[in-house]
Amino acid sequence: MYIQELSLRSYRNYDQLSLSFDHKINVIIGENAQGKTNLMEAIYVLAFARSHRTPRDKELIQWDAEYGKIKGSIFKRNRRFPLEIVLSNKGKKAKLNHIEQKRLSDYIGALNVVMFAPEDLNLVKGSPQVRRRFIDMEIGQIQPTYIYHLGQYQKILRQRNHLLKELQRKREADLTMLRVLTDQLIEHAATIVDRRFRFLQLLREWATPIHEGISRNLEQLEIAYDASVKVSEAMDLETLKSTYQEKFTDIETKEVERGTTLAGPHRDDLVFFVNGKDVQTYGSQGQQRTTALSLKLAEIELIHSEVGEYPILLLDDVLSELDDYRQSHLLHTIQGKVQTFVSTTSIDGIEHDALKEAEIFHVKEGTIDVQK
Amino acid sequence: MYYPEPISKLIDSFTKLPGIGPKTAVRLAFFVLEMEEDDVLDFAKSLVNAKRELTHCSTCGHITDQDPCSICQDESRDPTLICVVQDPKDVIAMEKMKDFRGKYHVLHGAISPMDGIGPEDINVPSLINRLKDEGVEELILATNPNIEGEATAMYISRLVKPSGIRMTRIAHGLPVGGDLEYADEVTLSKALEGRREL
Repeated sequence: MYIQELSLRSYRNYDQLSLSFDHKINVIIGENAQGKTNLMEAIYVLAFARSHRTPRDKELIQWDAEYGKIKGSIFKRNRRFPLEIVLSNKGKKAKLNHIEQKRLSDYIGALNVVMFAPEDLNLVKGSPQVRRRFIDMEIGQIQPTYIYHLGQYQKILRQRNHLLKELQRKREADLTMLRVLTDQLIEHAATIVDRRFRFLQLLREWATPIHEGISRNLEQLEIAYDASVKVSEAMDLETLKSTYQEKFTDIETKEVERGTTLAGPHRDDLVFFVNGKDVQTYGSQGQQRTTALSLKLAEIELIHSEVGEYPILLLDDVLSELDDYRQSHLLHTIQGKVQTFVSTTSIDGIEHDALKEAEIFHVKEGTIDVQK
Repeated sequence: MYYPEPISKLIDSFTKLPGIGPKTAVRLAFFVLEMEEDDVLDFAKSLVNAKRELTHCSTCGHITDQDPCSICQDESRDPTLICVVQDPKDVIAMEKMKDFRGKYHVLHGAISPMDGIGPEDINVPSLINRLKDEGVEELILATNPNIEGEATAMYISRLVKPSGIRMTRIAHGLPVGGDLEYADEVTLSKALEGRREL
């Protein structure tokens, strides 16, 4: 799939903008603070209806403007269709093929995007939250109902945490309501973990050989799921539920004492091992980067195998962070099959055949010139 | 704004209604000025009477002008069957159907710790009391099919279970007359879960 056209209105530092893109590689060149990342972000928002940089949609609207708009024309499965996101102070609207989608799970997945930004190099050494977000976003774009379960889970979790705080204060507690919420929580927790397990199995299949390739057969990557409850990938949905049930029965008193939910997918993490060693703790900077890169490349292949088409790849200021060998491995892998957007301050130093036929865009203070 | 005081007060009153913004309020207020005086008086009386003469039925919690309400007093209805709903509007929806011959219990809300609403803040205690004396045989839990409604139904069922009263939850699934292809995945999977033998 690819984006044919993109138009922005009152988005970040862009007043009004309309661009057509190359099906292969588009390079966005500009000094710092001119709007390169804003353009990348706009494509990301078009896919996920939220930014990767901020949870506050208001920040996406141009200063002083009432509303902002992103429109894109997408080509997928031999069909062309428009996507539109309208942001305003009152909220956002997501339109697929001109029709407003009330639920985000009906919208997300229409456009598949993989973003690789400097923050993603933190995927390995950053906080567990970063890795949970990675896994949730990726499953979400291939399985829309996952987003529904995640949303329900978070709502129940908030209710449950409020109740636990209340119980913590009261001391003469009626635990019936807590157990009701526990049952509700488990329904969704088990589904979420089950889907995460199945996703990890796919991710491993792709990431392991890719990592071997980037490391010239020197490194063997393993991915493990670190759960707050003793669950394993061999368990079916019913066993997962009963395992959670046991755990929550065990920790009930402790949870009331602490006034918060102490187990569940919102406290789980991913652990990466290279040649048997935990990369987060023992890996070198280079190994951490290679791992992040392998995961991102695996994601591209995974989406291709699940959706049937390659996603769009956004490389935001990240090429310069990789050494020559990793750079050319990356560009070689995507060459000719993945529509890619590369943002950089300068094209010098990136030498690869793939860039020779690229469409070049120069960004300056929120305006863009196309170089032919 | 430069409205004379009587009309600006009227506009202000209209904006207190749900779904009425400032512009609609102005339109409605000016419309009232054009209305016949008798109609305006009737309107004002209806507003006051609705508030003054309606109370909640002491048995079931439904809105009524006599206590107990006409449904609770109706002896042709089956007193062993109680349908639990969240809102008086739900009773009216059920009554439109004309098929249900049992009685009701209106909770006036759902349990939601986040909003500080516990079981004692809605009509759960009065429901439990009712079950003690009235010889009820079946409780139909017809709270809304969202997290809070579902939690409330599960809470009541845990509370009532020891008494041995039969409890049922209304089904959720496809709307009648709708097309399968337009149903969302979650509704479809619920409908599939609740499928029946033919």
